[in-house]
Amino acid sequence: MKLESAQTVKVPVLDVEKLSVNRSGKQVLEEVCLKIDEGEFVGLVGPNGGGKTTFLLTVLGLLKYKKGRIELYGETSPSRNTLGKIGWVSQAAANIPSNIRLTVKELVQLGTLTASNMFWRFTAEQNERVNRAIEMAGLEEVQDTNIFHLSGGQRQRAVIARVLASKAEFILLDEPLVGIDRESRNSLLQFLDKLCHESQKTILMISHDITAMQQASHRMIFLEERIRYDGESSCFPDLADLASLRGIQSVHQTNYDEDKLYQISNIEDKK
Amino acid sequence: MSVGSIILNFFAPILEFIAPLIPGEIFPYFFTMELFQRALIASLLVTLVAGFIGRFLLIRNLALIGDGLAHVSFGGIAVGIVLGSTGPLWYALLFSIISAILIHEMQTRELLTGDASIAIFLTGMLALGLVVLRIWGGGIQTDIEGYLFGNLLLIDEASFDLICKICIIALFLIIIMQSGLLVTSVDPIAAQVQGIPVRAIGLSFSIITASVVVSMVQVVGTLLVTALLVTPAATAQLIGTSFRSTLLWTQFFGFISVILGLYFSAELETGSGSMIALVAASIFAFVAISQVLVKPLLQPTDNVN
Repeated sequence: MKLESAQTVKVPVLDVEKLSVNRSGKQVLEEVCLKIDEGEFVGLVGPNGGGKTTFLLTVLGLLKYKKGRIELYGETSPSRNTLGKIGWVSQAAANIPSNIRLTVKELVQLGTLTASNMFWRFTAEQNERVNRAIEMAGLEEVQDTNIFHLSGGQRQRAVIARVLASKAEFILLDEPLVGIDRESRNSLLQFLDKLCHESQKTILMISHDITAMQQASHRMIFLEERIRYDGESSCFPDLADLASLRGIQSVHQTNYDEDKLYQISNIEDKK
Repeated sequence: MSVGSIILNFFAPILEFIAPLIPGEIFPYFFTMELFQRALIASLLVTLVAGFIGRFLLIRNLALIGDGLAHVSFGGIAVGIVLGSTGPLWYALLFSIISAILIHEMQTRELLTGDASIAIFLTGMLALGLVVLRIWGGGIQTDIEGYLFGNLLLIDEASFDLICKICIIALFLIIIMQSGLLVTSVDPIAAQVQGIPVRAIGLSFSIITASVVVSMVQVVGTLLVTALLVTPAATAQLIGTSFRSTLLWTQFFGFISVILGLYFSAELETGSGSMIALVAASIFAFVAISQVLVKPLLQPTDNVN
C-alpha cells in the first residue's frame, strides 16, 4: 500500500510551510512557503541580510525556527538516511582553514564519511565514489595538489566534488560563485547544470549574481524576509518590476529622455 | 605487571643493543640505565602522540591550548601536593580535563574565542597554584621547579606507568578518530550535515588533549609543552603538501627534536625540557629560513603567496 502511494504521488524533496525564523531577536524570515521537486535547479537570490543563508541553515536543521513546518523527503524530523541524501556546500570554499595542508583527494574523501564509517579505513567503495566525484568535477590532474594551490574556480569545484562523493541527491550551495573569475563561473554553472540533468540531482543554490542565476537555473526565488518572487527563471522580473516587488520607491527623478548611455562593452568584442 | 613495565621490558633490550653506537659521554646512559631508559621512552611516546594531536590543534587555531592546559595542570598539581596526595598527577589530570571541556564549550557557544578562553584558564589556574602553595605549601619548591621546566628524573615507576597508559589510549583514540577530527576541523557545519557527531568528537578531542598535556608536563614541563605539541607540526606545515605527508614530517621533526634535545641536555648538563624546546624551535627556524631563501632560487617567478 505504502509503496504504491509513494510511486503515484511524488513526494517533494523540500516542503516548507509558513516558516518564520528569528535571529538575535530580529525576524529574518516571515511565513516562507516553498516546495521543491526532484530534479529542479532552483536559484535563491536576494539582498544581503535577506535571509538566504538563514533559510538554508534552517532547512538543514542547524537553526531553530519559530513557526512553520519543514519536510525533507516527506519527513518532518529527518532520519539519518534522509539526512544522508542532503549535501551542503558552505559559503565560499575560502571557509577552509588556511593553515591546513590537504590535497584535493583528501578533501573529497571527507565527503564519504558518515557517523557509521568514520572510525574505519576508507573502503574500496568509498574510494571509487571519490574517484568518480573527482572525474565529474574534472579535477583528475590536480587531485594530489594542495587545495590552496588551486585557482578559486578549481577549489570551488573541489568543494562541490566533496559533496558529490557523498550519497547526496539534494545539493544546497551557498554562494559558490563568490571569488571566482568569469570563465570558471561559466564552467561551474555548466557543471551544475550537468549534475542536474545527467545525474538527476536536485539543486538549491544561493547567489548574488542574478544574471548568472537566470541563465543557469530553471526556477528562481527572490527572498527578502518573505518570498517576493518564485517562478520560472525566464520570467524573472526586470529591475523596475523587482523594485516594486521589493517596495523600493524611485528616489532619483530624471526629466529628460536624451541618450544617457555612456559606456557599454560586450565581452565577445574583446576576443 | 603494569603497562609501564611491559613497555620498558620490551624496549630495554633494543635500547641496550644500540647503546654502543650512541655518541657522547652521558647520553649513552639513556640507553643503559633504567631510570634514563624510562625518560627516553616516555619522551618518545609523548612526542608520537603530540604529533598526532598537534596538527589538529593548528587547524583548529588552538596552538596555545597546550600551554594553557599545562598551566592548569600546574594548578592541579599544587592543589594535589597541598592536600597531601601521593599522586598529584591525578589532580592535574582532573583539572585539565575540566578546563579543556569548558574551553571547548565556550568556543562552540561563541562566548569567547580560543585565545581569550585559554588565557583566562591559564592565568587563573596558575594563580590558584601559586596562591595555594604560598599559603599551605612548605618547603616543596624544588618539586615545583621540576614540574614547571620538566625534569626527566621526576619520572618514577608510577608516573611512567600513568604516562604510558595515557599515551597508548590517546594514540588509539586519535588514530581511529582521525577522519572524524579532520572533517569537523575543516568545516564543522558541513560535517554536521553529513551526520558526523561534531560535538562528541570535539569533546573527546579536548579530553584527549588534556590527558596528553598532563602526561607531557613531566617530560618537558609546564612551560614547554607547546614545544612538542605545536612546533614539530608547525615545521611540518612548511614543507608538507598533503595531510598524510604533514603527519609524517611532524613525527620526523618531533623525534629529531627529542633525541637531539636529550643529547645536548645530557652532554651540556642543561634541563631536558628547555633543550628539547630550543632544538624544536631551532629546527623550525632553520626550515622556515631555508624555505624563504631556497624557494626563490628554484622558482624565481613564483609568488610566495
